[in-house]
Amino acid sequence: MDKSLIGDPLSRVDGRLKVTGGAKYSGEWELPGLAYGVLVPATITNGSVVSMDVKAAERAPGVLAVITPFNTPGVPGFKPDASQPVRGLKLFNDKLIYFNGQPIALVVAESFEKATHAASLVKASYQQDVFETDFDKNRDKGVVPQGGKYKDYVRGEADAYKKAPVVIEQEYRQPSEMHNPMELHVTIAAWDGDDKVTVYTKSQGVIGTQRSIANAFGLKPENVQVNSRFVGGAFGSSLRTWPHEIASVMAAKLLKRPVKLTLTREQMFTLVGHRPLTIQKIGLGATSDGKLVGITHESISQTAVYEEFTEGSVNVSRFLYESPNANTRYKVIPLNVGVPAPMRGPGEATGSFALESALDELAFALKMDPIELRLKNYTERDPERNLPWSSKYLKECYTRGAERIGWENRPSKPGTLREGEWLAGYGIGCGAFGAFRGRALAKVRMMADGTVNIQSATSDIGPGTGTAMTLIASDLLGVPAGRITFELGNSSFPTAPTQGGSSTVSSVGSAVHDACMAFKQKMYALAGMPENSSDPIDYVAVLKQHNLPFFELTEESQSSQQAKNYSMYSFSAHFAKVHVHPLTGAVKVKRLIAVVDAGRIVSYKTASSQMIGGAVGGIGMALTEEAIFDHKYGRYVNGNFADYHVPVNADIQDIEAIFIDKPDPYINPIGTKGIGEISLIGVAAAIANAVFNATGKRVRELPITPDKLI
Amino acid sequence: MQNDLQNYENPRDESRRDFLKQSSLLSAIALTPGAIRRAAENKWDEKIADEMGKVPLSLEVNGVPYNLKIDPRVTLLDLLREQLHLTGSKKGCDRGQCGACTVHADGARINSCLSLAVTNDGKKITTIEGLSRGDELHPMQEAFIKHDGFQCGYCTSGQIMSAVALVKEGRTQCAEQISEFMSGNICRCGAYSNIVKAIQEVKNQQS
Amino acid sequence: MNPFIYTRPADTGAAIKSLSRGNQAFFLAGGTNLVDMMKMGVVVPEKIVDINRLPLRNIEAVQSGLRLGALATNSEVADHPDVLKNYPLLSLAINAGASPQLRNMATVGGNLLQRTRCPYFFDLTMPCNKRAPGSGCGALAGFNRMHALFGASDKCIAVNPSDMSVALAALDAVVHVRGAGGDREIKFEDFHRLPGDEPQLDNTLAKGELIMAVDLPPSAFTKHVHYLKVRDRSSYAFALISVAVALDLDKDNNIKDVRLAMGGVAHKPWRLRASEDFLKGRSATEDNFKQAAQIAMQGAKAYQYNQFKLKLAPNTILQALKTASGQV
Repeated sequence: MDKSLIGDPLSRVDGRLKVTGGAKYSGEWELPGLAYGVLVPATITNGSVVSMDVKAAERAPGVLAVITPFNTPGVPGFKPDASQPVRGLKLFNDKLIYFNGQPIALVVAESFEKATHAASLVKASYQQDVFETDFDKNRDKGVVPQGGKYKDYVRGEADAYKKAPVVIEQEYRQPSEMHNPMELHVTIAAWDGDDKVTVYTKSQGVIGTQRSIANAFGLKPENVQVNSRFVGGAFGSSLRTWPHEIASVMAAKLLKRPVKLTLTREQMFTLVGHRPLTIQKIGLGATSDGKLVGITHESISQTAVYEEFTEGSVNVSRFLYESPNANTRYKVIPLNVGVPAPMRGPGEATGSFALESALDELAFALKMDPIELRLKNYTERDPERNLPWSSKYLKECYTRGAERIGWENRPSKPGTLREGEWLAGYGIGCGAFGAFRGRALAKVRMMADGTVNIQSATSDIGPGTGTAMTLIASDLLGVPAGRITFELGNSSFPTAPTQGGSSTVSSVGSAVHDACMAFKQKMYALAGMPENSSDPIDYVAVLKQHNLPFFELTEESQSSQQAKNYSMYSFSAHFAKVHVHPLTGAVKVKRLIAVVDAGRIVSYKTASSQMIGGAVGGIGMALTEEAIFDHKYGRYVNGNFADYHVPVNADIQDIEAIFIDKPDPYINPIGTKGIGEISLIGVAAAIANAVFNATGKRVRELPITPDKLI
Repeated sequence: MQNDLQNYENPRDESRRDFLKQSSLLSAIALTPGAIRRAAENKWDEKIADEMGKVPLSLEVNGVPYNLKIDPRVTLLDLLREQLHLTGSKKGCDRGQCGACTVHADGARINSCLSLAVTNDGKKITTIEGLSRGDELHPMQEAFIKHDGFQCGYCTSGQIMSAVALVKEGRTQCAEQISEFMSGNICRCGAYSNIVKAIQEVKNQQS
Repeated sequence: MNPFIYTRPADTGAAIKSLSRGNQAFFLAGGTNLVDMMKMGVVVPEKIVDINRLPLRNIEAVQSGLRLGALATNSEVADHPDVLKNYPLLSLAINAGASPQLRNMATVGGNLLQRTRCPYFFDLTMPCNKRAPGSGCGALAGFNRMHALFGASDKCIAVNPSDMSVALAALDAVVHVRGAGGDREIKFEDFHRLPGDEPQLDNTLAKGELIMAVDLPPSAFTKHVHYLKVRDRSSYAFALISVAVALDLDKDNNIKDVRLAMGGVAHKPWRLRASEDFLKGRSATEDNFKQAAQIAMQGAKAYQYNQFKLKLAPNTILQALKTASGQV
């Protein structure tokens, strides 16, 4: 068997476990004496709990505990500190209610059925205060978010677009969207004595979760063991440790029994974040031949009253196109909603919908091809930071995507192309997302038989982390992929960052790279060969020669100083072809071509799937997804999988991923820039622009449902 | 066996209901005060009531017969996951809105989260764990690996169970038909097009 | 879910008796709707009468047409050779609803009793006259995008969510029921009711009555049929508007007979009799279809968020008629 090479289309290394039902997700660990926790949500939207009647619940068969703000055993780390702004929700720590659905009790019972039933028996009386969930009604109450990151930005002159010969000024709206990973958020907590706890939880970062739980319960981090070996999707919803995770640890401590707390799908609409409702104003000014002279991008999005979250929508307008003048502004409106969270392509997905739609409007006003307009304003340097790009092949993305989708068939006049009874149209939407690299460690161990085990406390929420790492190790060590195992999702493994921001392969992959290189050098040294030799080496013989049952080393890896001299981004150009039915307003995305400059592609097969999957998420954003509030009651009216529409199989036709696949020379030793976010960023605009091309109707409010097109 | 179980109209049902309402067996039985206290501490009345509320259930899961007594509220999905420890079938919504819990009941694909376990008395259930033969994967499982028909893997068991049934149903004439008849299985990672390819491959192998 | 008594009666007589003995007793068939509502606390049964073993699953030709046993699953009906041959509209409508898994569970009788998907009905913390009579209608001044255009009342503006029932209404089906007092037949159009002052009542079944079968009368609509469902995603979603069309055309493309019914617009499947009357005897032209679609909208009343249906409904009728007549 030969070694694999970086870039090979290796099948997922955990594929067999996943297709046989053998992959154990966090809620599936069998622990003796496991009890079941169910949360009781508040039914008011603002105010406080005055009293609770839990007698019936406590008396219900099989109930072990009903934890409320009135009897909570407390969490040691929840010390009120007036000097600190309120951050995060501390369940049962006080009686305040900030949003409808906020848990007011945790019922633990011998079975899921009993806990669920008992939870329905909990009664509460409230002090109800006036609440605000209506974004539009409170639009004038926007405030500039805290923190330097979100200050107003001005390059050149503010609002310079207004003076240009050709002006586009429009507002774009994207509703609240839900991550909705398939797996319900779940935590199992089991204490060993009163100073050690083991937690199985849905987490994108076991080290972060370990730290949060250790802080909350005043434990040494090493006494908190966090496992999250398989994660059933997350898309950002498991980037942080949520209140219910702390609550389950608290309940397990109280009962001295393992407790499993699973959120319902409905509870996931309020308790684990969302992409916040955002309205963006874009002003574009251009010369009559299409040169941008000013970009203004303002964003106002919702946040929670108890914690601030800002959707970083406007950043993209500062650097994606050349313009001497650019200014951006953030505002947030605190409302009585659960706190938002980063969701796949956070900020840029939202921002690119607005910017790329506006650019399409400008191209139409100029009677210019949208690609030509983008080329006209192409930047060879980052105009925001005034730094060279570490690498940028966006032009190649335009060319290859246009060729692949048949851009020449795009009608220059909207609403003129018919295919059968359908109106047809083409659109482009581009995206960029920062290419990051964090500090990470990896341990490589080779056994006497030559098999290799690598460990790092990273996660795999679906992209195929283990597969990518196996490819890197196989290529560098020269060991066949089948003889390598990669383990993750365990806080006792060498430290790695949380899986987010498309940075896992860049961070952890580099650690694996460096560890493998160091390992190889050590083995060459043991073999008495020059360290930088490229001659083949017989590891098994070396180990045997030195009488070693195994050999291992741990390597730390992080970004170089040199990297700071460059601006690093992944770039994408998405091309969509849509059909729109003139009578029913139905939209079909017939083809979607995603062309990506994400540096070197490590795991071709899983990367393609990730790109296609991001495009599916983009189709959802463009056409189907919207979480809807009833502002009279402050509750979601479609908080479930039947009425919040994520795309189904029938929504998806032909999607193709094309990689430029050129290594970035500066970001990391592998040259990879990341694809998780870029796969979604720009897709919604590409579809909205294609819908305009098909119909002549410009839809500036997502999702583009049939009612908006008839 | 089925005949014994079919007529489960228990004449004691109504009286059992009354019994449950009284909630305390202890008041009806003469016991010494100490025994009463011990019984209460051990929640005996609750445990007895609990047992009486259970319903017999015989079914076959992946060829293994089970004779159980269960709380009639338990869904087939929760029976599989929490009591039989067959966690391959997943819970994604618990309301028949996602398909992650898809299993075969007497050969038909169903949402096990909306099926009370007791209504499956006498049935043969197949879950993802029962699809492969030892180490030999079912062709659909092989095809899912080959075409990368999943990412996080959480919907995968349901997708595969659904896909196996779909091929049997003959709904594989074209990609569009496959997509339509696989639309009861949501995949948030967006592996749909690869799932369709996997199904097409299995279909072509069989024809 | 609350604890309940579970019973599995041996025959229909015992089932009906068992139901009548419980105050909050429910027949359980496929469970796709009832079990969901039990989980949400929308219904709180004291007793569940499992009727799945009753011999009501046959689909058979009878003198009056085709008889669909109440416990035949949606899939069994949709795939039945006689249905495919003689009632293709029914097969199309069934396959437009839910998912294959749900259609393998859901039954004919259960589908007729499927309750509304109105969000206020499903949320115990919000008012709903259908769930809790007298509590008010949350949808009236709330989120009413999915709601009725026809036959609503100020007590309830919910719609019936069934696709199958839209086709059954178009096909003049007859519902056979059995109660403590004996057997009776209910014309399909009389089976479901409008909300009026008692929106808690979806249909005209008497307490304790069991649906035994649905009969389809002989039908000439074997060729020019279509079921068009417009929704927010391509599949596995409830209708914004759905239209069932069955045309009987002569060789000159004149309409000998026609059936039209709409879903997603009323508390019951909405038969479009006036449009049918207009089309009968006329030729199958786009212009006539357009007029029929306009006629269908007489008396329509929209609310804040479903105004679009006033346009989407006639558009969908037109498109469905065009498709059924082979004009697209």
